[in-house]
Amino acid sequence: MDTLITHSSILIIAIPLVTAFLIPLVGMASKKARNALVVVSLIFVAFLVFALARDISINGIHIYTLGATSPDLTIPTGFMVPVRIILEVDGMSILMGIIWSIVSLAAAIFSFSHIASETGQNRFYTLLLLMVTGGFGMMFTGDLFNLFVFLEIASISGAALIAFRTRSADTQEGGFKYIVVSAIASLMVLFAIGLLYAQYNSLNIGALAQVIQYTTPDKIALALLLIAFTMKAGMVPLHLWFPDAYSVAPASITGMLVITSHACMYAAFRVCFTLYGGMLDAPVVGWILIVFGLLSMFVGVTMAVFQKDVMRFMSYHAISQLGYMWVGVGVGLAVLGNPALLATYGRDAISGGIFHILNHAMYKPLLFFTGGALFYCTGTRDLTKMGGLAHKMKWTTILYIIGTLSISGIPPLNGFSSKILIYESVYQFHPILTITGIIVSILTLASFTKAFHSAFMGAELPEYKEVKEVPRSMIIAMVILAAGIIFITLFPALIVNWIINPAADALIKQGAYINAVTGATP
Amino acid sequence: MTLILESGYAFWNPIILIIAFAVVMVVVYFFRRRGQKKYKKDTAQTQIFLCGEEVPEAGQRHIRVGNIYWGFFETLKEYYSQVLRPHTGIINDYVLWFVAVTAISAIILLIAG
Repeated sequence: MDTLITHSSILIIAIPLVTAFLIPLVGMASKKARNALVVVSLIFVAFLVFALARDISINGIHIYTLGATSPDLTIPTGFMVPVRIILEVDGMSILMGIIWSIVSLAAAIFSFSHIASETGQNRFYTLLLLMVTGGFGMMFTGDLFNLFVFLEIASISGAALIAFRTRSADTQEGGFKYIVVSAIASLMVLFAIGLLYAQYNSLNIGALAQVIQYTTPDKIALALLLIAFTMKAGMVPLHLWFPDAYSVAPASITGMLVITSHACMYAAFRVCFTLYGGMLDAPVVGWILIVFGLLSMFVGVTMAVFQKDVMRFMSYHAISQLGYMWVGVGVGLAVLGNPALLATYGRDAISGGIFHILNHAMYKPLLFFTGGALFYCTGTRDLTKMGGLAHKMKWTTILYIIGTLSISGIPPLNGFSSKILIYESVYQFHPILTITGIIVSILTLASFTKAFHSAFMGAELPEYKEVKEVPRSMIIAMVILAAGIIFITLFPALIVNWIINPAADALIKQGAYINAVTGATP
Repeated sequence: MTLILESGYAFWNPIILIIAFAVVMVVVYFFRRRGQKKYKKDTAQTQIFLCGEEVPEAGQRHIRVGNIYWGFFETLKEYYSQVLRPHTGIINDYVLWFVAVTAISAIILLIAG
């Protein structure tokens, strides 16, 4: 078991990668064997992630140096800086890993029935597992260049999956927009990495953080990294591609794409807190995140109320909810240089923002899956054509209600737990942030009530007389996420103490991240 | 205490709310049980009464998504005309936004940060 834990970080990335290339071979022999292989590999990966999380909670940051005689030998003999590829998993990375393992497993199970009528399913699962590889790589890498490589893997597989249903034009358009936006963002990330490498001769985040000077090229690199990652995360006003791409992908993939947005948000946090950390003019960067976060919250929700396409409606809500996270963590970043304010409300704001990532990762894919279930049964995403579906789709209706109450922050659901942490802490920074948050929550509830009435309420419509509840695998996938929501609802303090606060501390304590690689604090 | 989430200013215990909700449900159930027991399913008692008028078909009486919150959209007509303007659906425009926001952020960081 100890050997497994020692190598767990690389296994978590390698297992889906190897399985991805086995899928076409196994898929040719048997469809059932292929599906079983996908689920077994993802369950094993989830087991490794939880085992690694336990290890990190006991022993601290996990380091894995590829190609070294010992995984913790970060700096080879005779070298001053780390030159090998290093995976560095701390409280924040493992939280993202836990989220990714749960959602990717649920998405794979949901896909079994959801795309059962499509051709090219072997390619679908290969791409899905490549996307899983890219996501884990982004979350676990301690190296900027590998962050770029894994971002590319996740983006290219994501674009292909968005355009998977080749029979309709909107999927091709969505896939095209996603790959163009991703390519531009990735190139800007690469350019920023080049600026940093040219000055400091290192690509390791910890080693760079130790020597970074915040020169003019560093500031330009920060702007490029920050805006590239925020665009990929769908922050207003760079969100315009987001509903175009997310609404046309198969629902299982949209659920996963939400987590890739979280991964880009994680990368932005890693850049601000860990790479630049103490050198940063934190109030300026914090306020940039707060302003964009507020815009995302308000524009996202008001655009969502306006939508008639159920998946576009959900996509705009995803943008709005991401705004809460930007605001929470942005406030924490703004007071990073002031220990008194950080202790008073800054850490709570960061914890609230991070807790909202976890909650959002449970209810948003669930809501996308219910949207996918509606599309599966009715053949349309148009809410104006729906109605009375609660008579036929009882499971989907109940699961939609759970997701709706959670996203709207209705007590006692988990969305409320993270929102109250954000509201109470950011109020100390500026009351307008909390007021905006509450207004956005009210609008969220109003718009989900509207969609609920349109799709589920009313008398049974004649055109949907033959509609049946979705297949069992789709319900199981939705129940997995609903179970996550209920668990967090019942034990918010347990979750915050066990995994959220350590994640917030991992961001705040830059020295621990640097020390784990270089063996010295700056 | 693992059940109480403390935010630094207040606390949140979902179990208290769930117990309160359960108590309310019991009270509601109590009143429901005291209701009319002569209710007959699948009779005229269950049909919609519209002042004696003919009740429209299910598809016609369902209020569709386009008709909900009409007043809200009418009030915010100006806001929506502005906010919909950048949503052109053209990828060139999206890239322009990216370039503009990156440039503005870089200038802010160079001057103020």
